[in-house]
Amino acid sequence: MFHGSLSRIMGTRFDLVLTGAGREHSARIWEHIQYELESLDHMLNRFDPDSEISVINNRAGNSPVQVSHEMWSILQECRDYHQKTFGLFDITLSDFSRVTFHEKEHSVHFLQPGLSFDLGGYAKGYAMKKVVNILKTNNVENCFVDFGLSAIFALGHHPYGDSWKVSIENPFHKGEILGEIALKNSALSTSGNTPNYAGHIVNPLNRKWNREKRLVCVESDDPVDAEVLTTAWIAADTILKEKLLTQFDTKQILDYNL
Amino acid sequence: MSEKKDKQVDLSLRQFIKDLGGITGGAALLGAMPWLQSFTPDKLKEVEKEKSRIAIIGTGSRGQYHIHNLLAMPHTEIVALCDNYPPNLEAAAALSPKAKKYSDYRKVLESPEIDGVVIATPLNWHAPMVLDALSAGKHVFCEKSMAYSMEQCKAIYDAYQSSDRVLYFCMQRMFDEKYIKGIQMIHSGVIGDVVGARCHWFRNHDWRRAVPTPQLERSINWRLYRESSGGLMTELATHQLEVCNWATKRIPGSVMGMGDIVYWKDGREVYDSVNLVYHYGNGVKINYESLISNKYNGMEDQILGHKGTMNLATGIYYLENEDVGKSGIEQLLSQIGEKVFTAVPLAGASWRPETKKEYKPFPILSENFNVNDGLSMVGAVNDGSDQILSAFCQACITGEKGKDIVEEAYSSTILCLLGNQAMEEQRKIDFPEEYKIPSMNF
Repeated sequence: MFHGSLSRIMGTRFDLVLTGAGREHSARIWEHIQYELESLDHMLNRFDPDSEISVINNRAGNSPVQVSHEMWSILQECRDYHQKTFGLFDITLSDFSRVTFHEKEHSVHFLQPGLSFDLGGYAKGYAMKKVVNILKTNNVENCFVDFGLSAIFALGHHPYGDSWKVSIENPFHKGEILGEIALKNSALSTSGNTPNYAGHIVNPLNRKWNREKRLVCVESDDPVDAEVLTTAWIAADTILKEKLLTQFDTKQILDYNL
Repeated sequence: MSEKKDKQVDLSLRQFIKDLGGITGGAALLGAMPWLQSFTPDKLKEVEKEKSRIAIIGTGSRGQYHIHNLLAMPHTEIVALCDNYPPNLEAAAALSPKAKKYSDYRKVLESPEIDGVVIATPLNWHAPMVLDALSAGKHVFCEKSMAYSMEQCKAIYDAYQSSDRVLYFCMQRMFDEKYIKGIQMIHSGVIGDVVGARCHWFRNHDWRRAVPTPQLERSINWRLYRESSGGLMTELATHQLEVCNWATKRIPGSVMGMGDIVYWKDGREVYDSVNLVYHYGNGVKINYESLISNKYNGMEDQILGHKGTMNLATGIYYLENEDVGKSGIEQLLSQIGEKVFTAVPLAGASWRPETKKEYKPFPILSENFNVNDGLSMVGAVNDGSDQILSAFCQACITGEKGKDIVEEAYSSTILCLLGNQAMEEQRKIDFPEEYKIPSMNF
């Protein structure tokens, strides 16, 4: 068994539990993953003033800012997700339509003062996808990967089971288990309010902060889909939820009113 | 069986020993574990230009396991292979085609081309082969247990005292990083006073090998017959009793036990179920249990202290009065360590393993470690076997004796044999005066 851990990355903790691969092979894979995550953190962390996202946030209000190739593809994907979620997923947290993209120069420009990007509901999914790719290209068959146990990818199975199981506890009622999910080759993202951390999810359509006692878990083959959809689902009303289901191919969505 | 290696033997233990030199208490640790003193990367560098010329005597599954490990070592060359069972000899020759083949170990010992021998034969052959090899001037690495009888153990011990040759027995836990660190923690008081030990080894397997013709039954399935084997005690318990003595710095003064053939009634003569209590002079006891018709409990070496429990085999320790909260990922790690498959709590700490409800597991080693589930009949990967063999090959070049290794092997083997005697005679057996040696503290 190999356990790799980064205590502060992408705003949370990252853990990887790899079984069945040799010690040196595991260590090499871990080095690769660590390097990848640190690079991504440096690019996407808006609390790091030198990160690319900070540079965009500081300057794109004044004039178009040319972005790296990878940042460009990330922003394009976020734009696609904005459409797929009918505006519920919005990295500006307010009005994505006030961002202009210049295809030719790969530059972005904010048309509204004070606008900024926050990749909080996306970055962990994106990073997870990269991690999973590294694992798969290195022929890893069984691995449990997680960001702060809120974004998980389970590859293969636990050494003593046929899947990787996670349980969902009611954050408002310690000890009450709401459900259990057996994951195998799929991602699980969770979002919601807890007694200590509420009102951190905003509905971009009405700009209201969500303070409901809710917990949403989305299981999907695709870590980015799972991450984006949990955020969108919390903000969606009944009609939008039905529409979201037509846009995403998920394994399951669990929505708890607590 | 060791996985195919296209790499060097892992150097992390050597680096670990080297790093100890630079930390507080490191020198004291090395003082208490003197067999590790020269097991450093620098020492390997010194010797790796030279080759220790090694012969393998006994090329069955365990012999082949050692061959795989030897092939990955820079300071070693396998020059001879010896087995009286041609299929095993040929299998070994396929792994090491340049080595000369022998069917009689005495001929191997006559060869001036050989510095050291690795003996992986049935237990009853250990003593004659070790004694002959030492007399022939060879350095010797022999599988555990030390020998078939107490008389033979003492003969080997005595011969070694007057020999300038190197002698190692494969007590691999002495070279397993999590054991070394765990014992260091015990000695430094992390779990308080040692108040007990619980060791067990469970498997669910008949312990048999395929036999091509009935005449070969007793030589291939030598583990099952009393003429050649001490059964579960000499094959499994020997490692675990050694760890208990290492942790307590004592030798038990007496033993009681019961042994039976409970399930595998197939003509075997050795017990398939043993339960023993070893008693140290200060009242601390080892509860030892081994059963090979149920594997639920796996293999564990637990040292119990008044402040905590060191589970050396799983690389995890528990403290008696620690806050029970733990992160989900820690729970997952301890689950795997304890071979439990249960759910990991999502973003919160709610779940705890059913069997260890009130305890938070702490890993002995900070990052990654190997857990031996004890199920392999040949040997686990990275359980210290490759490291101790690497140390032996180094010693074949330097001539430096492995401090304490013979004494540890001697003590644990005598204890296994006393355990067998206690079960056989159904009475409490005291450690015989004639087999006490100066290093023993009762």
